[in-house]
Amino acid sequence: MGEVLIKVDHVSKKFAKDLKKSLLYGLSDVFSVITGKKQKKLLRKDEFWAVKDISFEVRRGECLGLIGHNGAGKSTLLKILNGLIAPDEGSVTMYGKVGALIELGAGFNPILTGRENIYNNAAIIGFTKKEIAAKFDEIVAFAELAEFIDMPVQNYSSGMKVRLGFAIAAQMEPDILIIDEVLAVGDVNFRAKCYDRMSELMKNCCVIFVSHSMPQISKVCTWSILIEKGIIKAEGENGKIIEAYYDYNYTEDKPILIFSEGCTLEKFSTVQRTFKGEINKLKIDIEIISQTEIKNIDVSIFLMSRELVPICQSNSKLFDEQIILKKGKNQLAFMINKIYLNSGIYNFALTIEGIDTKKHYLWIQNLNSIQVINEYTLGSPIIIDGRFKN
Amino acid sequence: MNLEKHIYTSSNSYSFWDVVKASLKGFRDSFYLAKQLAKRDIQAQYRQSFLGVFWAIFPVLINSLVWIFLQSSGTIEVTATSIPYPAFVLIGTTLWGIIGECINLTTQSVNANRSIITKINFDKEALITLGLVKFFFNFLIKIGLIVVFLIFFKIVPSIEILFFIPLLFLSIVFFVAIGILLMPISLLYTDISRLIPIGLQFLMYATPVVYAMPPDGIMRKVMLLNPLSYIISDLRNILTGYGIENPIFWFFGLLVTIVLNIIALVVYRISMPILTERMS
Repeated sequence: MGEVLIKVDHVSKKFAKDLKKSLLYGLSDVFSVITGKKQKKLLRKDEFWAVKDISFEVRRGECLGLIGHNGAGKSTLLKILNGLIAPDEGSVTMYGKVGALIELGAGFNPILTGRENIYNNAAIIGFTKKEIAAKFDEIVAFAELAEFIDMPVQNYSSGMKVRLGFAIAAQMEPDILIIDEVLAVGDVNFRAKCYDRMSELMKNCCVIFVSHSMPQISKVCTWSILIEKGIIKAEGENGKIIEAYYDYNYTEDKPILIFSEGCTLEKFSTVQRTFKGEINKLKIDIEIISQTEIKNIDVSIFLMSRELVPICQSNSKLFDEQIILKKGKNQLAFMINKIYLNSGIYNFALTIEGIDTKKHYLWIQNLNSIQVINEYTLGSPIIIDGRFKN
Repeated sequence: MNLEKHIYTSSNSYSFWDVVKASLKGFRDSFYLAKQLAKRDIQAQYRQSFLGVFWAIFPVLINSLVWIFLQSSGTIEVTATSIPYPAFVLIGTTLWGIIGECINLTTQSVNANRSIITKINFDKEALITLGLVKFFFNFLIKIGLIVVFLIFFKIVPSIEILFFIPLLFLSIVFFVAIGILLMPISLLYTDISRLIPIGLQFLMYATPVVYAMPPDGIMRKVMLLNPLSYIISDLRNILTGYGIENPIFWFFGLLVTIVLNIIALVVYRISMPILTERMS
């Protein structure tokens, strides 16, 4: 392991909830700092600790994942690490050149051309004139914008703007790299290029990586920290922290009704909600109340990630199952024979539509969330049931 | 390997001279950035305009024309001026405009670059330099206009014009320092930025800008009490072939400016993180 490059020592930061108070406190802070008056460590009225007593060290070659829900204090911590705002207590020591991939294309002026804006943005993120001149061609090539480089940036598509921004930032050679997840945008090819470049940069740095995507964290980071309400809830090996993140987040979600016509869902439940390893023979009880008799329908059950992205699906038409909804109460059951999911929280979605009529009867998501806890957290939602033979 | 080291800690433990040093270093290191940003702003401004640099002199010109008309038509009667009235008014309003611009320059620069201040760590001194560079760009155009007037009215400056640049520079630095000191308040509360133009307009009439100091009466007393009077009239005097009337005033002005500036730099540097917190 390399030398310690980031040392965070009992850092705390307070914020005011109320704008008027925040401004007033800001002004009084400015005055007390100038006059050298000691500020009180206690919270003033309407203040709270956005970050409280956080300590850690990161060495060269390490990549620390910062995990936490919205408003947990990650962004505040990043701003302190980046030197934008000062902590109220404690200290942060950073050794070496800091590169932040937080905001791409800062300082772009839409009126000016891509060429001119490369100079602007590069100067803002700390390049010298000589460095920019030396790297200019590489930036244009990386962004794949040679053709449009003399066009005003306001005529760029949003993807092109971000590509240009990333291409400039990618030329940094930092010792410490702070990455926020917003990166890796644009089309598939460019995204691959971004990851490529990021992993290249990471090799020789010490990295702090903020993301809501647990698979990414487990793939990229060497260890991670879970922050909740401004304090470190857990730190250490990725799998444990990700589990803690999901645990902390585990609340009963309400079903989201997107569409319902002619029938309503009364019940959708499984007996077991938490699983270890493979899920075997999981029965889902479904109860639908229909206003009329509905024949010739196509019923789908989806498994969705927490972000409500479909992961896998079953479909009655595909398996040639005839389902008829009679008027009134209908009891159905669906049996999941076998599925092997990655650690995490999932939920179900149900859709019903007519096969010939294409009429939509029902579409509900965020149903009956289930949690899977495996020994390790892997990088993709579904695990292939297979073995290596040699 | 020798790595640069940054320590971020609670801002109320600092040493005054360390901050001054850091601030000067910030100016030096960020000069290229400031130049680049100034280029960005000026290019963008003129690319969107037909009349271009004309806008730098237009307000001054209109303001002067109003007074020239009022005076020449006999609508108002002003104390006789030592040089032709049009030149007197034009130089006066230009100099007066400079005061306002200098006070606003830092706040304006910081406000216009909020988005990068809250996202990117750079030497914030660049924003002051940025304001100054943009100011000097406009200033050169205005000076051009004044030169045209001086030639037109055949006003021949004396050797004392050599003092013009240093004294003007001193005044600029003084008002920029005032602007920097006001910036933290005016950034948090918009009241200040609303108050400044009104205050300046009011003060203009208590300063020999569009009319000379009357030989007696209450206005003379007011003007004599107003330090801005000395600045405006002396700068105008040396530009138009007259001597400096108040050397002692300028000497003290120099001392005050130096002290004020050092304080302003420290205030700017240590208030910036606190302001950043309120901007994001």
